[in-house]
Amino acid sequence: MKGNPVYRREMTVSSRSIRLPVMTMVFNSILALVALLNMYSVASQGRVTAEIQYSSFLNLYVFVALIEFLMLFFIMPALTAGSISGERERQTLNLMLSTQMTPAEIVLGKLISSMINMALLVISSFPVISLVFIYGGIQLRDLGLLLLLYLSVALLSSSLGLCFSAVCKRSTMATALSYGFLGVLLIGTYAINFFVWSIAQMGAARYVNQVGGIASQVNSGGFFYLLLLNPALTFYLVIGNQVGDREGFLTVMQYFGKRQLNPVLNAWIPFSICLQIFLSVIFLTIAVRAIDPMRGKKLKKQL
Amino acid sequence: MLQIKNLKKAYGKYPALDGLSMEVKEGTLFGFVGPNGAGKTTTIKILMGLLKADGGSVLIDGMDAMKNQKEVKGKIGYVPDVFGVYDNLKVREYMEFFASCYGMEGLMARKRCNLLLEQVGLEERTDFYVDGLSRGMKQRLCLARALIHDPKLLILDEPASGLDPRTRLEFRELLIEQNDRGKTIFISSHVLSELNQMCSDIGIIDQGRMIVSGNIREITERVDQSNPLIIRVYQNMEKAMAILRSHSCVRTISIKDNCLSVGFAGDNQDEALLLQQMIDAEVLVNGFFRKQGSLESLFMQITDHEEKEELLYEGKPGL
Repeated sequence: MKGNPVYRREMTVSSRSIRLPVMTMVFNSILALVALLNMYSVASQGRVTAEIQYSSFLNLYVFVALIEFLMLFFIMPALTAGSISGERERQTLNLMLSTQMTPAEIVLGKLISSMINMALLVISSFPVISLVFIYGGIQLRDLGLLLLLYLSVALLSSSLGLCFSAVCKRSTMATALSYGFLGVLLIGTYAINFFVWSIAQMGAARYVNQVGGIASQVNSGGFFYLLLLNPALTFYLVIGNQVGDREGFLTVMQYFGKRQLNPVLNAWIPFSICLQIFLSVIFLTIAVRAIDPMRGKKLKKQL
Repeated sequence: MLQIKNLKKAYGKYPALDGLSMEVKEGTLFGFVGPNGAGKTTTIKILMGLLKADGGSVLIDGMDAMKNQKEVKGKIGYVPDVFGVYDNLKVREYMEFFASCYGMEGLMARKRCNLLLEQVGLEERTDFYVDGLSRGMKQRLCLARALIHDPKLLILDEPASGLDPRTRLEFRELLIEQNDRGKTIFISSHVLSELNQMCSDIGIIDQGRMIVSGNIREITERVDQSNPLIIRVYQNMEKAMAILRSHSCVRTISIKDNCLSVGFAGDNQDEALLLQQMIDAEVLVNGFFRKQGSLESLFMQITDHEEKEELLYEGKPGL
């Protein structure tokens, strides 16, 4: 990792920029403010009612974890979507490609540097997250799982940004497409399920009117597995498990119709994390091929 | 050092390179000339592995450039027509970054960077930010960067564009210096007078094909032979015209005022005899010379695709 020239250069440049310190400060300020307000409200309530709501501290954990998740999901593409197209705009990409460095090394260098920046933000927020340990409820193992989830989310959103950055000629187009695709992952997968389920329900309702029966047996079919690609659902389930909401997955599953449990549904979290990492690898492969002068011109010309 | 055979590349239906073949010998300073859209940058991009050729072969130092890209890139230094700038990067860091792109690290890389920065006269600017350098300094830095891995062949694409005359002269001297150090230099440029002064060999490309290639002195001598003979007649134009019409070496004659421009296929002795013949016929001649050839005239001649009618007897309809 240290040997990658792109990574080292990015680190040198970003360490001189004020962007990262400002981002770290603003992000941690928000988290700290929320944590303090939460503790203040618990203390105030304790003074009035003489009871301490320990679940409030878990809410604090959920909130901090949610903020970090959203930040990873939405800031990473902003950091990476302009990275390769920016090199192209500055006309430095060809300079790098004319050296002995391979396209894969360039993409990997960009990926690692953005992941390291993000890791800095996540690690800097540990003091606020660790407030939850004062009162208990969350174990170190839970925090480890959350970090693993963050890693997969960061990998997915940054490789998505890198992919569009490599394919598009302009950074603005790359950013717009990255967020568009994130929207598809986040909302589109739900929307497709909802749409298919609604259509199936309408068809079933017509049949029920004819024969007289129960219409709730229909579901969104195989489209439900598209939700494996949705990092928001994975996050919801991980956090739900950690704060004691063990029925979260069943609720989501029932939402799009009843279905039999199977190995995928039983191990939804590991499956979804693996699938999202696999999707990230696909995005990175596309990025490498797109900047490889011997391969990727056709794809790039279209955007 | 560089051998290109039947290189082909088309952008859609438009053929950018249409069977380009050429050879650059080791140790030469080769000028690659052609009008806009002739295929110069396409050729250079293919040489650098930045573009895939549709057909043909490229051998660099005996190695197939299409198959052994990594090894070949280690033998070429590339100075593009634009200078890519990184914000917040100092001159030394810029050099060390590119050194690491060739796998050079630590003390060896630092020593090489210092040496090259000294060679291009930037040794006192090592702690300056790259984007704060002047255009001439950036170009020199770009040259130093291209030399970081000690390549055998240096490829420059329009390096003088946007430079003032003094900087251009300094840059030219740097290139000659590198050529003296044994580097083969392949330079694409529009500034023909400059190439004329520094290149040992030249290749003129047009519509994706090599039109003329070889030693620059030999080519200009050949051009001289094809240039018209200029004869300025003070008196007795009719007699002069009669002599020229009957001369076996005369191909074309055009007249403007008292000046005759004669397409003359003879050698130096034929020229002297023609002059003698005119003087004997009492034609008063106050100018007699062969128009000197230059790279510019050759370039214009080769790249002028418009059909032009010979202006015969212009201004003298009676003759």
